[in-house]
Amino acid sequence: MKHLPKHLRPRWRYLAVEVETWPDASLNRGTFQRELWYAAQNLFGDAGSADADLTVLGFDSDDCVAETIVRARRGHVDEARAALACIDDIGGDPVGVRVRGVSGTVRACSERYLHGRAGFSEQRDVVFENESRTATVRDSLLDVSGPDGFTGATQLDLE
Amino acid sequence: MYEAVYAHPDGESTASRVASAARRYDYDGIVVRGVDATPDYDRLRDELDVDIVEGVEIVAPDPEHASGAVGNYRPQRELVLIRGGTNGLNRFAVEQPRVDVLTQPMADDGNFNHVLAKAARDNGVRVEFDLAPVLRSDGGTRVRALSKLRKLRELVEYYDAPYVVSARPGSHLQLRAPRELAGLGEVIGFDREQILDGLREWGRLAERNRELMSESFIAPGVERGRYEEDT
Repeated sequence: MKHLPKHLRPRWRYLAVEVETWPDASLNRGTFQRELWYAAQNLFGDAGSADADLTVLGFDSDDCVAETIVRARRGHVDEARAALACIDDIGGDPVGVRVRGVSGTVRACSERYLHGRAGFSEQRDVVFENESRTATVRDSLLDVSGPDGFTGATQLDLE
Repeated sequence: MYEAVYAHPDGESTASRVASAARRYDYDGIVVRGVDATPDYDRLRDELDVDIVEGVEIVAPDPEHASGAVGNYRPQRELVLIRGGTNGLNRFAVEQPRVDVLTQPMADDGNFNHVLAKAARDNGVRVEFDLAPVLRSDGGTRVRALSKLRKLRELVEYYDAPYVVSARPGSHLQLRAPRELAGLGEVIGFDREQILDGLREWGRLAERNRELMSESFIAPGVERGRYEEDT
């Protein structure tokens, strides 16, 4: 179909979103999009979520941190933030979601708020609370694996 | 703006991890709801550029036990919170001027009414709007939580009772930024400013209590200050 003339096309806002999780989780665009739709539908109902029209555009996953761009209709950015805040887990893996910023174009959004790799992570043996454990280390942040899941820590907790 | 969080071993992340996440989420500080957690506060404050408030959340089965705990912790901690959730505990907390915050009053069998709202206002006990079930549950549980939250909001607004807002994060992943919470608040009937004000209230409380606990404070209206020396 012939595309709409410019003044009739919908206006969009692009949200740069950071998704953080434990090291054993795997995130991808499809599951994130599904959770976002569920979150929006549960919060606003069918009508409201169709209005906000939330779409995940890019998804750059890197170990425990993923960077992504979420498109929302202009004027529905606050709703988009609310729906994003309600994403608690993706496919059973708990996640932290943070909006880094909002832009009017995809290009501005990725140039200003997305930095590519979020920092390299490595496996290391650490002593946490007097026990020897394996940890995934990213900058000064550590995810220490234990018998019942991971514990978030920083270098300050080791000394 | 401040957020009140659980730290390891109460939560899944240590106080320092939540604090460094809070910095990135645009918070000025965190309140540690210490149930069992006792991080090294002085060291963390020195090392991190975010404020960490030493709080305690009293989890007691009934008012008698809670009363003893309040007496124990009041001189030691900067913020004293009582976890509500039963009518007895809710009522006990709002009638104690020594208590700073009544947390999750609507959880489980807990309920709230005009008597409690007036008592909270008169005793200066902050009532917590707990956004955790809105953020992290769904279906019927969430619907019930929302309708209870609405009832609480209407009472707090009508009687002008003091309040705080929290997402009650149990790890750095459950933290949400103030703007996201404000956006969510607008959807569920709060004012944007109301949510942000509830997050600021934690900071104001901490500041007030630090002043009261400082050595220069002697009694209400009597303080040691700096005076000109006689020459």
